[in-house]
Amino acid sequence: MSETVPEERWGAERSNESRRPAISVRGLTKTFGDFTAVDGIDFDVPRGEVFGFLGPNGSGKTTTIRMLTGTLRPNSGSADVLGEDVVRHPDRVQRRIGYMSQKFSLFEDMTVDENLKFYAGVYDLPAARFAAQRQYVLEMADLVGRENELTRDLSVGWRQRLALGAATIHEPELLFLDEPTSGVDPVARRQFWDLLYDLASRGVTLFVTTHYMDEAAHCNRLAFIYRGRIIAEGSPAEIRSDHMDQRIFAITTSRADPALQWLETAPGIDEAYLSGASLHAVVPADSSLSEAGLRDRLATAGFADAQVTEVDPTIEDVFVNLVSRQR
Amino acid sequence: MRQALVRIGAIVRKEFRHLGRDPRMLLAVVITPVIQLLLFAYAISFDVDHVPTIVIDFDKSPSSQRYLRQYEASPFFEVVARGSSLADVDSAFDHNTARVAIVIPSGFARSLAGSESAQVAVMIDGSEPNAAKVSQAYAVALNQLYGQQLTRDWADAQGMDLSSLGLLEPRIRTWYNPERRSSDFLIPGLMAVIIAIVTVQQTAVTLVRERDLGTQEQLEVSPMRRIELMIGKLLPWTLIAFLDVALITVLGRTLFGVPLRGAAPAFALGAMLFVFASLGMGLLISALAPTLDSANMIALLVAFLPSFLLSGFAFALDQIPVWLQWISYGFPARYMVTIARGVFLKGAGFTELWPEMAALALYALVMLLISAVLYGRRSSR
Repeated sequence: MSETVPEERWGAERSNESRRPAISVRGLTKTFGDFTAVDGIDFDVPRGEVFGFLGPNGSGKTTTIRMLTGTLRPNSGSADVLGEDVVRHPDRVQRRIGYMSQKFSLFEDMTVDENLKFYAGVYDLPAARFAAQRQYVLEMADLVGRENELTRDLSVGWRQRLALGAATIHEPELLFLDEPTSGVDPVARRQFWDLLYDLASRGVTLFVTTHYMDEAAHCNRLAFIYRGRIIAEGSPAEIRSDHMDQRIFAITTSRADPALQWLETAPGIDEAYLSGASLHAVVPADSSLSEAGLRDRLATAGFADAQVTEVDPTIEDVFVNLVSRQR
Repeated sequence: MRQALVRIGAIVRKEFRHLGRDPRMLLAVVITPVIQLLLFAYAISFDVDHVPTIVIDFDKSPSSQRYLRQYEASPFFEVVARGSSLADVDSAFDHNTARVAIVIPSGFARSLAGSESAQVAVMIDGSEPNAAKVSQAYAVALNQLYGQQLTRDWADAQGMDLSSLGLLEPRIRTWYNPERRSSDFLIPGLMAVIIAIVTVQQTAVTLVRERDLGTQEQLEVSPMRRIELMIGKLLPWTLIAFLDVALITVLGRTLFGVPLRGAAPAFALGAMLFVFASLGMGLLISALAPTLDSANMIALLVAFLPSFLLSGFAFALDQIPVWLQWISYGFPARYMVTIARGVFLKGAGFTELWPEMAALALYALVMLLISAVLYGRRSSR
């Protein structure tokens, strides 16, 4: 869990900018038959921000992206992207936005260069601009000298960076990333986020969906979507302070499973769940329970080796908490 | 417009790259047609000649011997045995030493002399239906020939001038394909089969693959229109289909000496219409098929089988059950086979073949329109 948010990275002058938002969504709704995938959501994404769109699988993230990129028509509501009504005029924004999905959308039987050339053709890039962008992408993705390798021979991390390069070959002002780190190892994920910061520092607005809660900390702003509804929105710090009025204890024990079962039913504990290698137990803010108190109760219950530390809530804690309130 | 062409060009180049990288695919679209051509033209021969024949002459008269000489003289039958009893026929058929038996009953000469119709039994081993059918036709023809011969002999004996009576000299002719060579018959039909396989199958699969890869999703976000993607994906296959047509035509003409009696432009137009009809069909499949496998299966079902079985390529359409004949109208292959054979063998042109061309044009139009609508509309789900 990397909890330290490099919010200062974008600097004060950018956050003070009062331009029109890159994305502005009001009452956006999409139903498939009886199923409401996206249920009247509202949010704004300021320009130049890294906007994290978080939620479990099937909560409506991809459906929202498809409406914002103009490939899916909403049932109702409005969506302005880069100042254009994307519902009515998707063609006006398509040249200015980029999109990268977890499938990477590369042709594995083509070389690195051929993939880049193909997408340059799709966006009708002039030769000079392509040459410059190609150089940038190759350096960014660390693929200089491997231009003629087949994409299928690249490892996942490289493929992911190449996909990012292909998705940004036309220098979009706004980039949608749909679970871009899905199935990629933690080291590659970390490197990938560095690339995203790099894009953001060049002024690109990033709209990133993920179900990795630890990635939320990388974003300037977050929106939680759950069952088609946005249940929290704000900066990671705001979300933590606005939606978390409870205290969290982190517990490590060799017998995690029975300890979790015990915690779930123990009086005075609102919620217990696995978080990484430890168990998190949520107690009310006014609870008198201390680290030592909880350790004693655990020891009495037969978990003598339990270590208890009170921790600051992570984004994941907040999300679990929000979701449990929805139920 | 220029941008659209650039985008379509990007797709076309990409498609050829895929093709270049996938030797199996290249094999499937260029080499397979050639192999099929050779296979069909050489191995699956519908030619029938030198049919092993057993003859049994119970009459043993000069007339019966003269009659049997007709068979011996024909290149079509090869008299391999002379039997003495009907049991020999069974034995010959069982051992596959003969496929046809000619049995002349005693009294043959007497019946002829008495101006009654003489009975000759022609027995045919039906286990090879095609050969059986042709043998039967030939035997009937020979009998007629012999019958006319006898009439003429009789007329001569009576001192009558047959030609003055206006009786025609009997003549048996197989039109359009005098030697009844099956390669002449098969190769033009084979074009329909091969075009159908290359175009329907490949287009059906190529767009579904794009969907599976997630690249279609990617392209939908781009300025590329679906119709541009469609055209870009179809162009290479159109070219390859035409290449295949040219290849088969050249090989058919040079290797097998298939005649091209009619107007080549008429054939080219027919082939073009058929290619478009097949592409439309492939597109429709790719729009409807949920997975790559189902696209393949459906393509096989609607392209390969009908063009093989319901096009007149292998089986004459008037010999299949009526309900199947009706179904055959629903597949473009039958029109193409008619056009190909018409132009190549019968020397037909636009005048004779316009109904088939019109049917293909209509078919292509409807298919391409439906799939363009299915592809062009913005998805609502």
